[in-house]
Amino acid sequence: MLSILTIIWALIVGIIVLGFIAASAMFLIWWERKVSAHIQSRYGPMRVGWHGVLQSVADAVKLLLKENIIPAEADKLVWWLAPFIAIVPPVMAFVVLPFGKNLIVKDLNVGVLYLMALSSVSVIGIFMAGWGSNNKYSLIGGMRSAAQIISYELPLIISMIIVAMQAGSLSMQKIVLAQAGCWNILHPNMAMAFIVYIIAATAEINRVPFDIPEAESELVAGFHTEYSGMKFAMFFIGEYTNLFIISAIAATLFFGGWQGPILPGVVWFLIKSYGIVFVLMWVRWTFPRLRVDQLMGFAWKILTPISFVNLAITGWLLLK
Amino acid sequence: MSGLIQLLNSHGIPQDFVIKAAFYFIAALTLLFALFVVLSRHIFRAAVYLAVVLTGIAAVYLFLDAEFLAVVQVLIYVGAIVVLFIFTVMLTADIDSGTFVGTLRRMSVAAVASLAIFFILFKVINMVTAWKTAVPAGASISLSQLGKSLMTGYALPFEVISLISLAALVGALVIGKAEKR
Repeated sequence: MLSILTIIWALIVGIIVLGFIAASAMFLIWWERKVSAHIQSRYGPMRVGWHGVLQSVADAVKLLLKENIIPAEADKLVWWLAPFIAIVPPVMAFVVLPFGKNLIVKDLNVGVLYLMALSSVSVIGIFMAGWGSNNKYSLIGGMRSAAQIISYELPLIISMIIVAMQAGSLSMQKIVLAQAGCWNILHPNMAMAFIVYIIAATAEINRVPFDIPEAESELVAGFHTEYSGMKFAMFFIGEYTNLFIISAIAATLFFGGWQGPILPGVVWFLIKSYGIVFVLMWVRWTFPRLRVDQLMGFAWKILTPISFVNLAITGWLLLK
Repeated sequence: MSGLIQLLNSHGIPQDFVIKAAFYFIAALTLLFALFVVLSRHIFRAAVYLAVVLTGIAAVYLFLDAEFLAVVQVLIYVGAIVVLFIFTVMLTADIDSGTFVGTLRRMSVAAVASLAIFFILFKVINMVTAWKTAVPAGASISLSQLGKSLMTGYALPFEVISLISLAALVGALVIGKAEKR
């Protein structure tokens, strides 16, 4: 009997996580449209529900009903699998995100490394989409994405390692507890690590100003040009889930995670995460896109040296 | 894995059965995709299958209670090396112009080479270990122990490997620069 209860409990947790992912993605899409609209002195979606809150639901229904068009020249297997590979890593990342003191699926003792491994896998999905579509725009988008993600992975991982060094652990929950007295962001070297992290993470999820893999003005839609209906929606949900995850990781590593006065932990965690999401949206609708050579130069000549120097300084401070 | 075993123990599921079933399933899947890697005629698909094989190997590390190694396996092999393979495939000209057909000569050379590697590895593993199938009690090593042993007992091999990697990096840079001019 107990074993059946365990399985049911695991299923319930899975459904809650998937439900949260879907709801969060739909909310973020609506929010992004409203933020962009207000930055550009427009209203954005206004028709469906109060200030267009149900717009995402309407869009989701539309995408579900749309025809799934398979390009005639596509590598069918690779093309078909790509959206799944793109959406699985963000879903798996929820295993180690600490929403509250006891609200974590499993506090792995290699949590930070686990997140790094997942973020490095998701590029394969983009690659497969670019290759499988058999379309030059998709292929160029996939290649650009790969070059970008390989380059920005280095500063991203080093800035996460700096936090792990400070906390003396790779477990997400222990990193939160290590910030009980003082948030990491208040140390100057950690603040630097945060800036490097947030820039590199923005590049990792292909958002403006680092969105050359899907630059509309030159590549139609980059790697997902040939996708329609639910397949496109999966890329879209994956993208917005990644946006939430990098913000949640930033909140956990630098802003004390679920810790905060009065309000319960999960509320603090969501406030911090969505606050960082808002900053990223603000950046997206303010800055122009970088050129390919500028992008690579920025990663290798500025971010990587800064993060290495920061790593050495943090080591020195810890040993002092 | 140990957490899962405790959970199963406390809920009366025969842990042996579940773990064995999971292991054989993952092992079969890994071997199947390993076959696909060598039999596939599309080089891009072969690279994707390789990613599946390497993930399966990471799962085997989890069975051996080596969480750190499993995660590093995915991070380095799937996230970096397979991506590098795919990147190289994409940069190669005429890759999608047709499928590759192996000639008998090439296939025989490949068979000899892979059999030789297989027997060398088999012999070495046979010499050093006795094909242990279970994790000895207390074999699980914490991350800090791992880090300390890398910095003390294994400091020399660690440094030698990093020196070789550095040399490879500089070499790649030199070759890349010479071709551009």
